[in-house]
Amino acid sequence: MNAIIKNPLALAGLIIIGVISMMAIFAPCIAPYDPDAINVKNILLSPSSMHLMGTDGLGRDVYSRMLFGARISLLVGIVAVGIATIIGIVLGAIAGFYRGWVDTVIMRIVDIMLSIPTFFLILAVIAFLTPSIWNIMIVIGLTSWMGVTRLVRAEFMSLRNREFVLASQTLGAKDSRLIFKQLLPNSLTPIIVSSVLGIASAVLVESGLSFLGLGVQAPQASWGNILTDGKEYIEFAWWLSMFPGLAILITVMGYNLLGEGLRDALDPRTSNNK
Amino acid sequence: MLKYLINRLFWMVPLLVGISLISFLIMHLAPGDITATEASFNPKTSEESRQKLRELYNLDKPVIVQYGLWLKRMSTLNFGHSFASHQSPVFWQETDKEGNVTKGMIQEALPITLLINVLSLILIIGLALPLGVISALTQNKLPDRSITIFVFIGFAIPSFWLALMLMYWTGVSHNWLPISGLHTLGAEKLSAFAQLLDTLKHLTLPILISGLTGLAGISLFVRNGMLDVLHQDYITTARAKGLPENTVVYKHALRNALLPLITIFGLSIPGLIGGSVIAESIFAIPGMGKLFYDAVLMRDFPVIMGILTIGSALTLIGNLLADLAYAWADPRVRKGVSQ
Amino acid sequence: MVNQPKSMMKKLNRLIGISITILLISCGQQKNDPTANLNQPYPSQSGGALVDAMSGEPSGLIAMMAGESSASAIASNIFNSLLKYDKNLELTGELAQSWDVSSDQKTITFHLKPNLKWADGHALTSDDVLFTWKTVTDDKTRSPYGADYKLVKKAEAPNPSTFKVTYEAPYAPALDSWSGLHILPKHLLQGQDINNTSFSRNPVGSHYYQLDQWKKGESITLKRNPNGTQGQAKIDRLISRIIPDRAAQFLELMADNIDSMSLNSIQYARIFPARPDLTAKIAQYKELGNSYTYLGFNLKRKPFDDVRVRQAINYAIDKQEIIDGVLLGLGLPVASPYKPGTRWSNPKLQPYPYDPQKAIALLKEAGFEDHDHDGILDKDGKPLSFEILTNQNKEREMSAVLVQRRLKEIGIDVKIRVVEWATFISRFIKTGDFNVVLLGWGLGLEPDQFNIWHSSQQAPGQFNFIGYHNTHVDQLLEAGRLELNPDKRMKIYHEFAEVLLADSPVVYLFAGYGLPAINKRVNGIDDPAPPAGIGHNSYEWYIPAPLRRNEMSAE
Repeated sequence: MNAIIKNPLALAGLIIIGVISMMAIFAPCIAPYDPDAINVKNILLSPSSMHLMGTDGLGRDVYSRMLFGARISLLVGIVAVGIATIIGIVLGAIAGFYRGWVDTVIMRIVDIMLSIPTFFLILAVIAFLTPSIWNIMIVIGLTSWMGVTRLVRAEFMSLRNREFVLASQTLGAKDSRLIFKQLLPNSLTPIIVSSVLGIASAVLVESGLSFLGLGVQAPQASWGNILTDGKEYIEFAWWLSMFPGLAILITVMGYNLLGEGLRDALDPRTSNNK
Repeated sequence: MLKYLINRLFWMVPLLVGISLISFLIMHLAPGDITATEASFNPKTSEESRQKLRELYNLDKPVIVQYGLWLKRMSTLNFGHSFASHQSPVFWQETDKEGNVTKGMIQEALPITLLINVLSLILIIGLALPLGVISALTQNKLPDRSITIFVFIGFAIPSFWLALMLMYWTGVSHNWLPISGLHTLGAEKLSAFAQLLDTLKHLTLPILISGLTGLAGISLFVRNGMLDVLHQDYITTARAKGLPENTVVYKHALRNALLPLITIFGLSIPGLIGGSVIAESIFAIPGMGKLFYDAVLMRDFPVIMGILTIGSALTLIGNLLADLAYAWADPRVRKGVSQ
Repeated sequence: MVNQPKSMMKKLNRLIGISITILLISCGQQKNDPTANLNQPYPSQSGGALVDAMSGEPSGLIAMMAGESSASAIASNIFNSLLKYDKNLELTGELAQSWDVSSDQKTITFHLKPNLKWADGHALTSDDVLFTWKTVTDDKTRSPYGADYKLVKKAEAPNPSTFKVTYEAPYAPALDSWSGLHILPKHLLQGQDINNTSFSRNPVGSHYYQLDQWKKGESITLKRNPNGTQGQAKIDRLISRIIPDRAAQFLELMADNIDSMSLNSIQYARIFPARPDLTAKIAQYKELGNSYTYLGFNLKRKPFDDVRVRQAINYAIDKQEIIDGVLLGLGLPVASPYKPGTRWSNPKLQPYPYDPQKAIALLKEAGFEDHDHDGILDKDGKPLSFEILTNQNKEREMSAVLVQRRLKEIGIDVKIRVVEWATFISRFIKTGDFNVVLLGWGLGLEPDQFNIWHSSQQAPGQFNFIGYHNTHVDQLLEAGRLELNPDKRMKIYHEFAEVLLADSPVVYLFAGYGLPAINKRVNGIDDPAPPAGIGHNSYEWYIPAPLRRNEMSAE
């Protein structure tokens, strides 16, 4: 924790994430208008004291939609990464701990998954299931577990033969105890780093999917679909693209800075303590 | 070494079959087929003609049977024809009895995507190397911090937003670059050099946008690799020996830090043929990404399978090449394997 | 240690500097002379090129085979049909100079104009028409449009300038069908497999233009056809660039790289008026659109089988609000499936007014009240709640949101689901697995609506997917097909529209305007647009020499 505070970039990342998460959590209290409140007399108003971020094509307040959109974008990120991480930990632990044919099978599955373009999987599954927040989260989760698996497996493999593990084994500890009490806690660093970076990625993927029409659907607001709605008016109604664009940019940067900062801080080789 | 190579090549075939089977099944998960397009929802069209089309393309048979038929065709490397534009061959051109050549869809889309991706990769490496080295050498000081922020911005910015803003700035506000497409109208009348310049101008923004995302990853990678290496004992030894800083950094540290980069090259080979759907849509570039996206929306199965098969084959080959290259480049691995 | 970064930095800076210089030096194309006045009158003259954009690429240029709108748009410049619609949407001859209908109304004889030629100089005769008919009705031809032509019992070409078709029974939509069939050259296609012929990518037609160049994925260029059967167009070349993204299209329009684009309501009503630099060089036009948007009920499901529920929903929706909100006022409400102002549209019919009280009363009659006071109407313990399905279309999505709000106000709980097209058709429409859809139909010039409303057309894959069954309407639709006299026909379809409106199997939402924007260099456009739209005389449009784009020239 100290290391993070000492690293100004990571600290900045933490602050950014903190602020945005607070705004997302308290959205219903902060938002001046109902994000779904249509007002056809107020279409595409530029930012003013009445509407801090202007209004969109149906007269809805962009600021309120951005706040609720923050919830969606962050939710998508966290749940998707959660799914990917859980799958990754389970598979990676099994592969790294037991080795042998289990390991080979799992790694081959990882190889196959990496060979099929992620985008195709997402497209096909969403086309089949119809786009909705849950489907998007599940799909992103199901297509990004491979990296975590490899990380966990690598950690387990290297930790497995350390003395403290061998010692416990000699004392007769059960496998599950070894995995949960000793190996997993020591592998947490790369998992945390990868999760943080994964959330950033998921937010970007959602905006890309929105551009293609496969992201979170109307009338629900997400940063991705507000940005896409505004793309045809990019210099006329600049607020429709500038604010979500900046929001995505700052949020993703925040997560990246925090993730890289954590990696720097917790990785003994690259820290400055020499 | 040879045994290892043969082993990997041997496993490629069942792996490819497995991947193609999974892809085929996923493809058929999505409801609808080529007869469910917007054009076919015209009250003047008849359902019986659609049914005939389904029968012609074997779409009414069970999925496994369809897969078997496809596999049979693939065994002779016949990628088939697109469902959407009936006579377009999926992969390579064909000549009919009158000598008219119809080019293959992948044959036409692949070179464009390859060009953009290769140039983009060159741009990334060209920028990422120096940026990563500078970052490592000035760890935690201002240059490192600003470079980190810069590459992170490049990674974090939604690409289509940046693309549109750049298109507006360079194409509408100022007349510096073309906005979309590959060639200016009438470009074929120009000299070869002028045409080349014209194409490069059109590709400038797409290459920039494609490369920006990778820049963050690679420069960070170089930075961390360099930091790893710079803290090793042998570097301290080299400095203690009194070697000039230049030699220490470039001859010893950089070379060793770059070894993992070779793996990255190998792993990015499949990425070379997958164009970005978003960039290609915005810049009106007829590449592999757009081809794939349109095929998925239209359920054009032969095209989808063609692209996936080629992609997976290239991925497997790329992985193999990366592993081999790493093994060759890293003397520790080389010596170890031959024992 | 401190020296290294500096030299690296210097190298980097130099590299960046060189790249920027290269970019700046290779300036853009020479733009047109800015002093040429766009607003002064110019005499009609030949030459120049019109550049427009299309979102998709045609799969081929034989319209009967390729279904996309981009294919028929380009093919319509290359090929002729026997008949066409004039500026007032009346049928007139294109290849035919006149036609006679026999007294039993079963035979139509077309008299072709004299001295017709194909672009390659070959003579165009009734043999070509007969060949085309044979091709489109051939079982081996994979065209979905054959149904109309298969009703012809006998087709003959007794002499090179006469084409005669005889139907089993009088078929009123016949004449319209002959305005939609592009006549193909027998001398080039005989013996070819129409499904796979290279002619599709290299067609030879007879209209104002012929194919000059097709750059796959990039653009299609048409050039003037000196043998055009209808005369000579003024503009030398038509270039269609393939630009899939609408935002990119708009940027190209602003940068003067394309001449025409169809705008959406916001661009037309908000962006252009606020940008004098745009209105100075680009002219905006407004024309009757070609489609209407509707809310369709699945009549086979409760509670939509109850006409009171359907009418209630009709009363509960404020259609003017949708037109104002979604189209910014650039559309018309409709009360029948026909273009307002045309003969087939019944002028006496009015759309259901916005009357939420009446809606609530009707629902109460049908048994729906808020018995449990949760804000949602219910009947027999089940709440009145359903999902509106629509495809990925901004206008439809926005309309759905407005519909949802108005229905919520009277106590109907509506959810919106946006589905990708192919999934929409196969998973929901074909299987009949939906409650309410928000879609559109074309506003055809031919009044026959058999395929959409007749009770015999309800099989999966057919177009009466909402399950409408009204015997009176069935009879009217059948009668309409047999009656060739336009006035009598008009009465039939007016009555049809009246019954349909009362039954309210769908709620007509709006018919939007077409909003083309065309660079002012293009002169000769009819403004205000006649019923057929501004494109009716596109062959008379011209680009004066001082305003033409500087073309690339060999150096």
